[in-house]
Amino acid sequence: MLFGPLKSFTRVLSFTRKELLEVVRRPGAFFGLVLGPFLIMAIFGIGYSGLRRPLETVLVLPPESGLSQEASAYQELAGPAVHVREVTADADLAEEQLQREEVDLVVIAPADVRQRFVNGRQAEIRVLYNEIDPLLSNYAAFVAYRLQQEVNRAILTRAVEAGQEYVVRATGSDKARAIPAEVVAQPTRADTVNIAQTPPAVVTFFMPAVLALVLQHMAVTLTSLSLVRERLSGAMELFRVSPVGVVEILLGKYLAFGILTALLGGLVTAVGVLLLQVPLLSSPWFLVAVSGLLVLASLGLGLLISAVADSERQAVQLSLLVLLASVFFSGLVLPIGEFHELVRAAAHLLPVTAGIRLLQDAMLRGGTYAGYLIGVLLVITLVYFLLTAILLRRQMARA
Amino acid sequence: MTDSKRSSPPPAPMSIRPIPTDSPIVLQEVTRAFAQVRAIDAISLAVPRGTILGLIGPSGSGKTTTIRTLTGALAPTSGIVRVLGEDPRRFHRRTRERIGYSPQDFVLYQDLTARENVDFMGSLFGMLWRRRRRRVREALELVGLWEARDRRASQLSGGMRRRLELACALVHDPEVLFLDEPTAGIDPILRQTVWQELRRLRDEGRTLLVTTQYVAEAEHCDAVALLSHGRLIALARPEDLRRQALGGDVIEVEVDRPFDARSLAGVEGVTAVRQRDPRSVLVVAENAGMVTPRVVDAIDSLGADVVSSREYRPTFDEVFAELVSRDRLARGLAPDDAEAA
Repeated sequence: MLFGPLKSFTRVLSFTRKELLEVVRRPGAFFGLVLGPFLIMAIFGIGYSGLRRPLETVLVLPPESGLSQEASAYQELAGPAVHVREVTADADLAEEQLQREEVDLVVIAPADVRQRFVNGRQAEIRVLYNEIDPLLSNYAAFVAYRLQQEVNRAILTRAVEAGQEYVVRATGSDKARAIPAEVVAQPTRADTVNIAQTPPAVVTFFMPAVLALVLQHMAVTLTSLSLVRERLSGAMELFRVSPVGVVEILLGKYLAFGILTALLGGLVTAVGVLLLQVPLLSSPWFLVAVSGLLVLASLGLGLLISAVADSERQAVQLSLLVLLASVFFSGLVLPIGEFHELVRAAAHLLPVTAGIRLLQDAMLRGGTYAGYLIGVLLVITLVYFLLTAILLRRQMARA
Repeated sequence: MTDSKRSSPPPAPMSIRPIPTDSPIVLQEVTRAFAQVRAIDAISLAVPRGTILGLIGPSGSGKTTTIRTLTGALAPTSGIVRVLGEDPRRFHRRTRERIGYSPQDFVLYQDLTARENVDFMGSLFGMLWRRRRRRVREALELVGLWEARDRRASQLSGGMRRRLELACALVHDPEVLFLDEPTAGIDPILRQTVWQELRRLRDEGRTLLVTTQYVAEAEHCDAVALLSHGRLIALARPEDLRRQALGGDVIEVEVDRPFDARSLAGVEGVTAVRQRDPRSVLVVAENAGMVTPRVVDAIDSLGADVVSSREYRPTFDEVFAELVSRDRLARGLAPDDAEAA
């Protein structure tokens, strides 16, 4: 009676051992396929600061404006998002610089601000930029808007000061200065407080996401070649004759690749926490549980790819497609909330989508309010396992 | 062979009817078709326990299809297949543990060593560690690969790979073995060793179905099934096949002068004669012991002296060429258009 489960366990371990040996014997393929893409990501992580440089700006002031021609005089008004490179009266030259992409913004002040104001009309400050990137274009527009607000505030402040001065002189009373001109010009200001436990930082924010992607990519890449290779070599025919079952084959492979993925995942986590000082606010067990679930779902996805691929080349192509889809749709680069609902739902077929959110919550928030994502991972783990088992059973039947 | 008296129809394929269902391997009127082509056509045979059945036939004759049908990889289009009393498409797990299989192509793992490959196969059949360790060594020693146990499969020669596959098929000590060309690519000395081991397994009561491209290896089998174009054209013990091919016992008679073989055609008990050369005659008889004195007397009476007379044993190449040729004639095909044996 005891021999049945023992034999079954032996069969499972036979696949585990075989897979581990094959990976160890092919270190080149292992490093090339799995670690290669992450070497590129590491370089990206080290080289990318995430901080946007100030927009190089030329300020065009009409000669008759009587305003200062010193760039430094306007820098404080412009704020840190803008670097006032020079002040000029030549609008054509400034536009030419913009055309040649030597500067990012050209701000052209109107010649008759005072007169239009006195006449009760708005003056127009023209802000030019030369941008095809929609994100940068939005950013430039935002900076221009902010600049306009600052200019308005400055004008209003000066107007109020002048008005107060006039009233004081006319009445001899100082009451007109009871409310400071800055408060009249800008009665409210925002006091922003970020209540997140971890202050936002590029490395801190992306590290859990990279960990999720490492786990998924490693699991998918390793397993996607596994079954297809056996099918093409004819080993399935041997399995067909032997007493090994589909579930035993899959469990053996889950175990082998689970061990490998866990080792790499542990390494990436250790580097993140110990070297990069990324906080781990949740219990380590929660992190292990979420990572384990992510690995299981990813192994299932990889084995499913392996079951449907016709050749090793196709398996590699499909794995890379999964990686590409993960970069776009998982929330790693683009916020997932900005996608159409259907796309957002489909993105959850990628284990990394739930993985990124859960790992970021675990490490940076100490827990998650997106508990449904654990359910999502459980469901796709089960679905991928069942689909692979059905396909493998069919393939073995006709091996 | 030109035969002056071969006017009788070729013998019907010898199949065992009724099929004894207690045999470990049973095929009953089994046909397997791929589209319109019948890879095997109404084959019936049974392999009793403790027997080596050699499945011999030209390339494309249906040997591998027969084996794959027996292992359950292919479902028969019609007919009944039983291995150890079960339909191979629905083998129980315990039944699978009693079956060994070595496919025609090398399917083992190139990056694993010889020992690891055999160990993997042992584990696959649920062998526990202690027994597996012993059997892995025994299997590798048997095929002469123990010294090469730590070499990766990719570093083994073609012959060594075949031996490794054989070790993998044997490691779990199966009751029934299906071996698809186990001696292909192996040198003649090692081939003898392999056959010795197969006979040893047979002597232990195991049942083996072996395909081979070496016709001479029929000698090692207890029974031989000859396939041609998917049809079973002969099934008998090797010695009986010889008789079946030539129509009975064959006596080679040498005389002291040129002699016309046709003059012996009327001798009682002689079924066919053939002129080998002017002084040598092959005489086919149902019973060589009874007919030889009559042949000698007949030659004497024709004025010639017999220098020697002895039993003639054709090679199996000749036997199979004859049987295949006869089958093709019976089916109205040109005899020299047979598949390359």
